Amino acid sequence: QQKELDSGRKYTINSITVTGAQSFNEQTVIAFTGLKKGDRIYIPGEKLSQVTKKLWEQNLFSDIAFYVTNMTDEEVDLELYIVELPKLHEVTIEGKGVRKGKRKEIIKDNDLKPGVKITNNLLNTTKNYITKKYQKDGFLHTDVKIVTTPLQDSSGVETSKDMKIIVDKGKRVKVKDIEFEGNEQFQSGKLRRAMKKTKRKNLIRFWKRSKYTAAGFKEDKESIIKKYKASGFRDARITEDTLIEVDKKNVALKLKIEEGDKYYFGDIRFIGNSVFTDSQLRQLLGIKKGDVYNGVLLQERIQDESEPDADDITNLYQNNGYLAVRINPVEVAVRNDTIDFEIRIMERNLFYFDHVTVVGNDRTNDHVIYRELRTRPGQKYSKRDVIRTLRELGQLQFFDPEQLSPNFVKVDENNGLVDLEYSVVEKGSSQVELQGGYGGGGFVGTLGLSFNNFSLRNIFNLDTYKPLPMGDGQKLSLRAQASSYYQTYSLSLTEPWLGGKKPIQFSSSFSHTVQYLYDYNSRRADKSKSFTITGGSLGLAKKVKWPDDYFVWSNAISFQHYNLNNYNTGLFTFGDGYSNNLAYTIGISRNNTTVNPIYPMAGSDFSITAKLTPPYSAFNSIDYKALNDERAAQEVILNDPNANSSQVEDARLRRSEIDQERFKWLEYYKIKFKGTWYTRIMGKLVLRTNTELGFLGSYNNDRGVPPFERFFLGGDGLGAYSLDGREVIQLRGYPNQSLSTNDGSTIYNKFSLEVRYPVTLAQMASIYVLGFAEGGAAYDGFREYNPFELSRSAGFGLRIFMPAFGLLGIDFGYGFDPVLGQTEPNGWQTHFIIGQQF
Amino acid sequence: CGQYQKVLRKDDIGKKYAFADSLYTIGKYKKALKLMEQIVPAYRGKPQAEKLMFMYSNTFYKLGDFYSAGYQFERFTQAYPNSDSTEVAYFKSAKSFYQLSERFSLDQRETYRGMEKLQGFINTYPNSDKRIEANELITELRTKLEKKQFETARQYYRIEDYKAAIESFDNFIADNPGTVYREEAFLYRLKASYKLAINSLPYLVQERLLTAKGHYNSFIKYYKSTDSAEEANEINDEIEKRLVTKETKST
Repeated sequence: QQKELDSGRKYTINSITVTGAQSFNEQTVIAFTGLKKGDRIYIPGEKLSQVTKKLWEQNLFSDIAFYVTNMTDEEVDLELYIVELPKLHEVTIEGKGVRKGKRKEIIKDNDLKPGVKITNNLLNTTKNYITKKYQKDGFLHTDVKIVTTPLQDSSGVETSKDMKIIVDKGKRVKVKDIEFEGNEQFQSGKLRRAMKKTKRKNLIRFWKRSKYTAAGFKEDKESIIKKYKASGFRDARITEDTLIEVDKKNVALKLKIEEGDKYYFGDIRFIGNSVFTDSQLRQLLGIKKGDVYNGVLLQERIQDESEPDADDITNLYQNNGYLAVRINPVEVAVRNDTIDFEIRIMERNLFYFDHVTVVGNDRTNDHVIYRELRTRPGQKYSKRDVIRTLRELGQLQFFDPEQLSPNFVKVDENNGLVDLEYSVVEKGSSQVELQGGYGGGGFVGTLGLSFNNFSLRNIFNLDTYKPLPMGDGQKLSLRAQASSYYQTYSLSLTEPWLGGKKPIQFSSSFSHTVQYLYDYNSRRADKSKSFTITGGSLGLAKKVKWPDDYFVWSNAISFQHYNLNNYNTGLFTFGDGYSNNLAYTIGISRNNTTVNPIYPMAGSDFSITAKLTPPYSAFNSIDYKALNDERAAQEVILNDPNANSSQVEDARLRRSEIDQERFKWLEYYKIKFKGTWYTRIMGKLVLRTNTELGFLGSYNNDRGVPPFERFFLGGDGLGAYSLDGREVIQLRGYPNQSLSTNDGSTIYNKFSLEVRYPVTLAQMASIYVLGFAEGGAAYDGFREYNPFELSRSAGFGLRIFMPAFGLLGIDFGYGFDPVLGQTEPNGWQTHFIIGQQF
Repeated sequence: CGQYQKVLRKDDIGKKYAFADSLYTIGKYKKALKLMEQIVPAYRGKPQAEKLMFMYSNTFYKLGDFYSAGYQFERFTQAYPNSDSTEVAYFKSAKSFYQLSERFSLDQRETYRGMEKLQGFINTYPNSDKRIEANELITELRTKLEKKQFETARQYYRIEDYKAAIESFDNFIADNPGTVYREEAFLYRLKASYKLAINSLPYLVQERLLTAKGHYNSFIKYYKSTDSAEEANEINDEIEKRLVTKETKST
C-alpha cells in the first residue's frame, strides 16, 4: 500500500531487514548503519541520507536504497537494499616483456590488493595507467585488456573475482625521420637539434635512444617555437604536425612551420616605477632599441622563472620589500618590423615580515633554527634573504635540503605584513662506524660514533634519550680503535653558538694514542716498548661581518705530548724521551658554497691558516748553533767506518741528548692556503677548481725545521694514524705519500680540476661521477721550490654518500710523471675514498 | 603462559576473545594486544566488536602507544556514536593527542590537534564530568604554545636583535591576551627597546628612547606593584636621565 509520508514526522523503527547482501552478515550491515530497533527518526529526514552517505563512503556497495515496507502512524519497518561490489581475489598480469618488477609496480601503484572492491573506476584507471606507462617509454601501440572471472563458493554464490590483465606492449616505436616544411631561417638539422626529447634514429648517438612519446613531442614543438622566438620571429608557429606510421616499429614526423617576419625591439618605456629610476631599470633589462626581438629574453630579464634568485627586475623589487610587485611587458605599437614596449610596473606597498615560524622540527630545538634565520620579524621583506636562509638551514645538516620550503602563511596587503613559515624535514644526522678486520698483523677493531645534533645539557636527563639527547645542534664524536699493538681514543665536541648569544663556535677535542713496538720475531706487540701521544685542543671560531658575512675567523690552541718508552725506531734518535708540541693556530676562511654541502653547485670555499709555536729559541739562551755543530760532528763519527764501537756508542748517545734538547718543545711555524671554487657548467654539471699550498718553516735556522708536522703528498689523502702531526695531501694517480721524501716535505703545492655530474641527489643516497686532472709537488726546502715542476695525473671516479655511512668512493687515476727514484710514468692507480671531507 | 601460547596458536576466535578479555582485566596488556590483533578483523561488524574495539583502543592507551590509541579511539567514536563508551573513547582519543604533543621547542602539530580534539570533546559533551580535566589540558597546551612564541621572542633579545625582539613581543602580546607570560613580555619589550635606543646612531636615540618610554608606560599601567616593577623603574630612570641630557644639550 502507498501511504503519504508526512514530512518532518518522527517514526520509531520497528525492524530493519537487509536484502541483497551476499558476503555480509545482516547484523554487520545494520551495525554499519548505526540504526537500531527503537530509534526514533524523521522519515524522510537527514538521518537516513547520512546513513546512506556513510555506507557509500565504505566503498563496498554499488547500490544502496532504503525502503519502507510497512508503516503505522508511529512505527516503520525499514528494508535496506544493497548490491555489493565484487571483491578482488587474485591478479595476474600477462604480457611479453613485462618484467616481474614492473608487474609488482603495477599492482602496487594501482592498489590491486586481494579484497579490494572492483569498481569501473578501478578498471579504467588501471588500464590508463599501464597504457600511459608504456607509451612514456616509446611503446606507442600498447594495448591493455582486463578480464575478470567470477569465483563461486561451493553453494554457487559468487564470492569474488579474479582479474587478469593482458598487456600487449607492441614494439618500441622509433622515429625514422623528422621533416620540416616552411623553414627558411633555420636549417632542418638545427631545428631537429632543438628537439631534445624526440630524436631520429642514429646508430652513433648511443646515449639517447630514439623513441616517440606524445608528451616529449609536445615539449619539443614548444622548443622549436622558443628557438624562433629567441631570434625575433615572434609570430612563428607550427601550423600542422603529422605522425606517419611507416611500419610497426617506425614513425615519421612532419612539421609545417610558418615563420612569420623578423622583429626588432623599438622604444621600451617604463611606467609606474617610483622606487627605481628608468636608467636603473634599463641597465638591468639590458635590452636596447634596435636589438633583435626576443620574447624569451625579455621575459627572463623581467622575471626568470627557471632561477629563483636571478638578477632580474622582479627580484630587484622582491629583494627590497616589494612582495606584491607586478610587472607586465605590453606591446603598445607594432611599426613594420619594430615593436614598442611599455613595461608596466605596479609596485604596490612595502612589506615587512611579521610572524616568522618554523614547522616540522621533530628533533631540532627552535633556538637552533631561529638563530640561523635571516628573515626576522620587523625586517623588510626580501626574497634573497629567504633563499639564503633556506641555503643556510640546508647547511646545518639536520634537515633534508631538498625538502626545505618557505610558506607564505599570510600576506596582508593592507598593512604590508607577511607571515612566513619555514617547513623543514629532519634527516638522520648521526653516523655509527663499527668495524673489525685483520690488518697490520692482527685484529683491528674500530668503534666510531658521531652525533651531529647532540644536546649536551640533557646528558643527565634520561627522558630525552630517544635514543640520545638530541636537538641542540652540538656535534659530539667518539672514536676508539684498537689492535694488538696500538690503541687510540678520541673525543670531540663542537658547540656552534657558545653561550647562545653570538655565532662563536667552540670546539674541543682530546685524544690519546698508545703504540707498542711490534716484535717481528715473536710476532707480538712488545708492551715494554711504547710510544704514547696525548693531546687536546680548544678552539673558537667566529663569523665576522667584514669584508662580507661569509667570513669566519678562527683561533685554536693545541697541545700534544709525545712520550717514548724504550721505543727505538728510525723515527727518533732517542728511545727514551719526550717531546711537546704547543701551538696556536689562527685562520681566516670564507665559504659560500650553495645549499647541498655534499654536492655544492656554486660558490667558493677558501681558507688560510697559520700555526705557530712560541719562539723558544729567542729567549731560552741555548746556543743552537753550537748544538747544531756538535750534532754534525757526532754524525761524522757515526758515518765513519773506522770509528770503534765505543766511539760510535758515545756519539749516538750524545746525538740523542742533543735531539732530545731540540725536540723538548717543538718550534716551527706552518702556513697553509686552500681555495676551492665550484662552477656550474650546464645543468647539474659542476666544475670544482682547487688549489692549495703549504709551508713549514723555522724561526731559528740553527734549530731547524722539526721532523714533525710535515706534508706527505700523493695518493688518496686519507690520514693514517697521525703520530707526528703529519698532513697527508691527496694527489690521485700516485701511491700514497710517494711524492714526498721519507721524512716528509716542508713545502707543497697542488692544483686540481674536477668535473662532477650527479647520478642522484636523493636523501637516501647521493651519487655522483667525476673526472679529474691535477698536479702537485712537494719539496724539502725553499731552495728546491719550483711551482711548475709538477707531478701530473688525470682520471675518473665515483662517490656515494649515504647519511648512515658517510662518503664512499673510488677513483682511478693515471700518473703521467715518475715517482721519486723512478724513470717511467707511474701509470694507473686505484684509490678508495672513505669518509673523507668533501 | 603455556595456555597463552596454546590459545595464541589456535584458530578459535571465541576462545581468543575470552582469553584476551581476561588478560586485559588483570592488566596484562601486551599479551592481550597480541591476541586482539589476531581477532579484530574477524569481529569487524559483529555485535561483540563494540566491546572488543574499546578494549583494543584502550590497550594501546595503557601501553603508551598514543599514536595508535588516538587513532583507534577516534575510529571507535565514529563506528559507535551511540555506545555508552563513546564519551570515554572521545576523551581518551583527545587525551592521546595531548600525550603526543612534543616539548615547546619542537614542532607543535600534535598540540594543535590535541587542543582541537579536546575542544571538540567539550562541545560534544558539555555536561561530562571529564570536562574540567579537558579544560585543564587545553590550558596546558595553550600555555605551551605561548611559551614557544615567548621563548622565540626572548631568543631575539638574547642574540641582541632588538628590533626583531620588539616586533616579536608586540606580536606575542597582541596574539595572547590572557597569557601567563604577559608581564615578562612587557618587561622584555621595554628592555629591548631601551637597549635598541642606546645602541643606535645618535640621530635615532631620542626617538627610540621615547618609544622605550612608551613601552615603560604600558608596563607600569598594568604591573605597577609587581616584583619586576623595580627593574622597569630603573630602566625608566635611565631613559629619563638620557632624555634630559639630550634636551639640555639641544637647548
